[in-house]
Amino acid sequence: MTGGVHGVELAIFLFFFVLVTVLGFVAARWRRGEHLESLDEWGLGGRSFGTFISWFLIGGDIYTAYTFVAVPALLYAGNMIGFFAVPYTIILYPIIFVFLPRLWSVSHRHGYVTPADFVRGRFESKGLALAVAVTGVLATMPYIALQLVGIQVVLEVMGIGSDQGSWLGKDLPLLIAFAVLAAYTYSSGLRAPALIAFVKDTLIYLVIIVAVIYLPTRLGGWDGIFSAAKTSFGHANTAAVAAGKPPSAGIIPAQPLHWAYVSLALGSALALFMYPHSLTGVLASKNRSVIRRNAALLPAYSFLLGLLALLGFAAVAAGIKTDNAQLAVPLMFRAMFPGWFAGIAFAAIAIGALVPAAIMSIAAANLWTRNVYKAFINPSATPKQEATQSKLISLVVKFGALIFVVALPNEFAINLQLLGGVWILQTLPALVGGLYTRWLHRYALLVGWAVGMVYGTWVAYLQPSAADPHAHFGSSLALIPFSQTKGYIALTAFVLNVVAVLVLTPVFRALKVGEGVDETHPSDYHADAGDPGVRDVPLDEPGAAATAG
Amino acid sequence: MAPEDTRSDTAAGHGGAPPGRTTGAWVTVGVLLAVGIVVPLLVFLYDQEKPTLWGFPFYYWFQFALIPVVSVLTYTAFRIAERATARDRRAHGLGPAAGRKGGFQ
Repeated sequence: MTGGVHGVELAIFLFFFVLVTVLGFVAARWRRGEHLESLDEWGLGGRSFGTFISWFLIGGDIYTAYTFVAVPALLYAGNMIGFFAVPYTIILYPIIFVFLPRLWSVSHRHGYVTPADFVRGRFESKGLALAVAVTGVLATMPYIALQLVGIQVVLEVMGIGSDQGSWLGKDLPLLIAFAVLAAYTYSSGLRAPALIAFVKDTLIYLVIIVAVIYLPTRLGGWDGIFSAAKTSFGHANTAAVAAGKPPSAGIIPAQPLHWAYVSLALGSALALFMYPHSLTGVLASKNRSVIRRNAALLPAYSFLLGLLALLGFAAVAAGIKTDNAQLAVPLMFRAMFPGWFAGIAFAAIAIGALVPAAIMSIAAANLWTRNVYKAFINPSATPKQEATQSKLISLVVKFGALIFVVALPNEFAINLQLLGGVWILQTLPALVGGLYTRWLHRYALLVGWAVGMVYGTWVAYLQPSAADPHAHFGSSLALIPFSQTKGYIALTAFVLNVVAVLVLTPVFRALKVGEGVDETHPSDYHADAGDPGVRDVPLDEPGAAATAG
Repeated sequence: MAPEDTRSDTAAGHGGAPPGRTTGAWVTVGVLLAVGIVVPLLVFLYDQEKPTLWGFPFYYWFQFALIPVVSVLTYTAFRIAERATARDRRAHGLGPAAGRKGGFQ
């Protein structure tokens, strides 16, 4: 199906790949502070990004291989639930607006770099901070794995790293891409993805605008695309019924699927800003207003995301036939466009996976260094040792992601990301709860977290995939206990988590279990840049002045 | 708790300003954001094919239409929040927030 290597396409792809690699290494000098050695410089780019750069940077976090490969694959396969990505990114911004400015303020007053820093300071609980940190590192790995699957898909369509031949022949190009990513992340930190994000977003806008304007004219308009998808899914349903299976394909979810749709949207929106990488982008912004203004500006990306999702239907209309739904959109680009434009499109998809993978691994590494290495292993670490540790762990996290790619079913890579969501959402009660109230008890939060993690992981483990009834972690939807309704496992586990926290908090309080000392002050949650005590760098690195901004 | 502790996103400021001065603004912000979060999740409002618009079934174009609508709600909330924050900050004897100077660099 992939049909060998196409010269022009590959040349264009390699051109952009080399360009971003060079940018990645050059980025080390861009807008540089005095000491890249310190964790704050390496990990947060000196926290000096304004609206414009933040807009690109946060967009780079959110719109990834998830958008270009994983979501359209669901729609291509007739699973209209995949369009949940649109309501997910709509409700995301009002949610951001509410709680992230509080987190920005308290983090800048106290020099917090990670969510676990805040939890430790708020609840005086190293155990809870450890739980939050470990969850963040764990949940980031399958999310990076999704990005790697996205790169793999593009390479496979281009005929390098095909599914024939040896393991090395299959995965070598992916490993090279991966090594390049690791190398420039290692040397340039957050500056690398921030600078590359400009190239990435320019390419992506170009590809999407051309695709959504040009493709419908070739496929009988959107009318033609939707009716072709409907007809094709009608045939698939007839075949399914004939084979004794329930019909499942379609373009509009039937009533029993509404909760699946809503719970995926809501669960994903709540989970996104629990990920350490999303918070990295937010903490890197210059002041509170940047966050709220971005919340109003970022939906420009949602529009693209929705149109990209619909490319899944466009691929059906274009007559693309493939067993691996994730190849459908890249194959359509090859079929409908000249080689040079297909090369640009593939570069956009691959770079769109590299940027977030870099940001995610940096953030997970920061989390580890601050809240595991420094808190438990080497409390007297110098800033330089911290930065070295972060760089090493960012490599480890990427290798962890490779393991997820190899070990878990990835016919629908979106399940990898959704599995990450199951885990990361369990840190919400401590983080967001903690931003608003000190009433929740630290041990109740710890038990609630454990309940959510165990339930979520166990139920996710029990889900077979559509292709293999013996597989595990094959779906992110499961029946809600005592009901016949399927919902996103993350949200069900989260509800159990919250119930445990609310029930146990009064119990621990009644038993007079120590609640710890809160090092934050209520005024910390509103402080803005320039206010007394608001600083750009952690206490342990007074010499690292902020970059000019 | 110290006096300046009372400022929160839902409660009005103390001290220099009359109490309750920004409460209405913050409630408005909350309502605008709540609409933006809840309406997109009411699938029964839009799980239909008709009427179509430019070939898009209602289900799809309605959700696309929600994007700018929620964006406008959020931006309105942003403007109200900025003004309310400025008043809250004056009430607490703080200077203008950094973001008021513009964030582009």
